[in-house]
Amino acid sequence: MNFHMFEQCHDVACNNFFAWLNQGPLTLTIVLHTIIILPMFWIYFSEKKKLQQGKED
Amino acid sequence: MAGKKASVWTSISFWRRSAAWVTGLATILLIWLTFDTMAQIRMGTDQELKEGIKRRIPAPTVINYKIDYKYDEKRGLEAPVIGPEKQPLFGKELSPKEAAALLHLGKLTSQSKNCMDCHTLLGNGGYYAPDLTKAWLDPMWEQTMPAMTGKKTKEEAMVAFLMHPDKYPTHARMMPNLGITEQEAKGLVAFLKHMSSIDTNGYPRGFSKTIKEFQTGGTYAK
Amino acid sequence: MLNKTAHLSPSKQLAMNYFRVAIVLFGAQLLFGLVIGLQYLFPGFLYEVVDFSVARMIHINALVVWMLYAMIGSVYLMLPDETGIEKPVGMGLGKLAFWVLTAAVAVVVVVFLFIQVGPGKESSIWFINEGREYLEAPRWADIGIVVVVLIFYANVFFTYMKGKKTGIMTVMVANLMAVAGLYLAGMFFTDNISMDQYWWWWVIHLWVEATWEVFVGTLAAYALLRVIGAKREIVEMWLWIEVLMLFGSGILGLGHHYFWIGTPEYWWEIGALFSSLEPVPLVAMFVHVLYDWGKEQGAHEAGGKGNAITNGPTMAWVTVNAFGNFLGAGIWGFFHTLPQVNIYTHGSQFTAAHGHLAFFGAYATILVGMMYLGIQDSYGLKKLKATFKSKMALFLITFGMLGMAVALTIAGYEQVLVERAELGAGWQAFFTAQNLPWYVQAMVWREIMGVVVFLGFVYLVWDLLTIGKVEAAAEEA
Ligand code: HEC
Ligand code: HEM
Ligand code: HEM
Ligand SMILES: [Fe+2]
Repeated sequence: MNFHMFEQCHDVACNNFFAWLNQGPLTLTIVLHTIIILPMFWIYFSEKKKLQQGKED
Repeated sequence: MAGKKASVWTSISFWRRSAAWVTGLATILLIWLTFDTMAQIRMGTDQELKEGIKRRIPAPTVINYKIDYKYDEKRGLEAPVIGPEKQPLFGKELSPKEAAALLHLGKLTSQSKNCMDCHTLLGNGGYYAPDLTKAWLDPMWEQTMPAMTGKKTKEEAMVAFLMHPDKYPTHARMMPNLGITEQEAKGLVAFLKHMSSIDTNGYPRGFSKTIKEFQTGGTYAK
Repeated sequence: MLNKTAHLSPSKQLAMNYFRVAIVLFGAQLLFGLVIGLQYLFPGFLYEVVDFSVARMIHINALVVWMLYAMIGSVYLMLPDETGIEKPVGMGLGKLAFWVLTAAVAVVVVVFLFIQVGPGKESSIWFINEGREYLEAPRWADIGIVVVVLIFYANVFFTYMKGKKTGIMTVMVANLMAVAGLYLAGMFFTDNISMDQYWWWWVIHLWVEATWEVFVGTLAAYALLRVIGAKREIVEMWLWIEVLMLFGSGILGLGHHYFWIGTPEYWWEIGALFSSLEPVPLVAMFVHVLYDWGKEQGAHEAGGKGNAITNGPTMAWVTVNAFGNFLGAGIWGFFHTLPQVNIYTHGSQFTAAHGHLAFFGAYATILVGMMYLGIQDSYGLKKLKATFKSKMALFLITFGMLGMAVALTIAGYEQVLVERAELGAGWQAFFTAQNLPWYVQAMVWREIMGVVVFLGFVYLVWDLLTIGKVEAAAEEA
């Protein structure tokens, strides 16, 4: 059975970072979304601290 | 101030910082991706063609080779097949310099005559006339057009058609005469042949299927 | 729209000038649209006189240019209100820039229409036609546009620095820089068609699906403040959320144009997933407009103050914008944004259906709304109520555009299934689909609906010319 979920890169060029990430189910896009979203948690908590200390903006 | 605005979700400053972060990082990622893509879509070299090294956009001298578009089992799509047989354009093999000059003329002509506002190139442009991505490989150029224009080869037929499309209509919707000179037409043919060698990740899909069916007469087309 | 502007601030007077040219170009756009629509039905119509390519080029360039004019006009309109400065810094230059730009546009149109194409030489690209869809303007004009836009930007930037710094203006100033900068990506020549289209999409996509959308967000925010008296705090918070989501999805969403132009396969995943998120902010913008409207209306009614809306036509167009943006860009865009679908729909009438509904829904609507705000200011009216003509204009244009988009979608399905899926593209496959009865009927409907749009446009111009006087008289009485 081959469901083609994991596929070895068979693009014209495979020796680059993005092609390497692009060999599992949505791995490339999940990585990119994650590194964009994750730091927002940090922004969230830093804002929360600011608010709790009563600072404006 | 305590208790005035406890929720971060309604804090402008939170959204402003997040917006700045997301925009900045997305831009950086796009720039990084652009560098990677640039390296992959720069035109290849004549040496790479000779050694059979695949490039997404081959050197201009690809017009010296036979080009095909075949289903690739591994990739699950059609990809260009270049050579190894030679099939020089207009029967004369061109040096890298000559080929580049001809391609340059063709690309310039395609822009100054504005092909893109009737045709699509790589699928982008106007929808009034056929997509030109793989026009070089279109079955109509195998026999029909050479017979109609009274030329022996498809490149000569293409030149005749491009110079006087109004003389060789195949449909009520005709291509107009754009005042293309013979040299410009040759450039355009080089441009079209080169474009057909670009690896477009399988667009248009099923193109080679059509070719086979046309050759055996098995389609619904009139 | 023509007189009565003498008492306006210099900034708003200039805004009205930009609006006047915009509406003329909008009319030209529609006329040439009707010409190319007709050429689909009667290919002999104006053959070798004004060929399809020539008329189409004018259709889409008039579109882009009238929108840029109306956008610049909108900025000059809001500048005094947002910064508290009546006379922007460098206003003399700003006025001069308007005339220079308008003269340049006139020359380009004359060259497009009468010279049309040139020989295959660099000089053609510099002086006649650059031959890249939407960016056909010759290089000299590109440079001129950049200079004019820099002057406009300087006006806005230094006024902003001198005056109040609202959240709306902060977004506006930062975003305008990106709009202007992106244009540079379209100003070079290369023999490599893949490279060419890679950068071409930086301009087209990063304009319409990132920076112009943020621009619309700021306009909507400004309009809500003025028209229904929405709270600045809430409007500006939404604006930042919109910026976050629009840029977060739209910048890498660019990948949906890199599926088939010679670029690597990894763009499939990036383009698919990021662009699929692009509709999310469009939903948010829609919800935002309705929410604020409902809230302010409710507050007004509770306080016995009647209708919250101080400018009926603007509010109507802004509401159509909120929905049209979501429908045309969000829904119609999502239809064909996955590579699994796009490999078949790429470059078909389906694309045209989306292009029309999106440009109309996302941009034409709100820019017309801003023109009505300009009228209100010109006549110094407290309230501007919609007239019969305003309603006819809104109804006919919106109905016509929807009808066109539906017709093109049907044509697109036919084309995609027959030309692409069944016959695998190619010359004969193309014409087999073009001649299918259902496809041909759809093209007739497109033209009929185009005429409906044009009728609506006639009402629109008529209304813009008269509504101010009518309402001013009513307010006197
Ligand atoms: C005014 C619109 C228009 C312009 C501009 C235009 N064409 Fe065409 N072209 C057509 C039409 C319509 C056809 C189909 C003619 C027919 O079937 O009779 C066509 C057919 C063709 C074909 C044959 C179709 C195929 O798939 O092989 C080629 C090649 C071609 N054009 C190339 C060009 C090039 C190169 C340019 C620019 C220099 C150009 N065209 C400019 C309208 C146009
Ligand atoms: C009178 C009404 C209109 C008619 C009859 C019309 C007709 C057309 C036609 C025939 C094309 C060429 C499509 C092709 O290449 O096959 C076109 C392209 C286009 N039109 Fe219109 N149009 C009209 C109004 C508008 C309006 C109001 C807008 C935007 C607000 C618009 C935006 C566009 C765009 C963006 C394209 C390029 C589409 C693409 O390449 O996908 N048009 N139009
Ligand atoms: C206001 C916003 C938008 C406008 C004005 C707009 C306009 C357009 C236009 C005019 C084209 C055709 C370009 C050409 O001539 O080749 C196009 C193509 C496309 N748009 Fe949009 N668009 C918008 C938003 C979106 C969104 C949100 C999505 C996806 C969710 C989307 C997906 C696409 C795709 C996939 C194509 C390529 C079509 C093809 O392959 O032929 N668009 N858009
Ligand atoms: Fe896009």
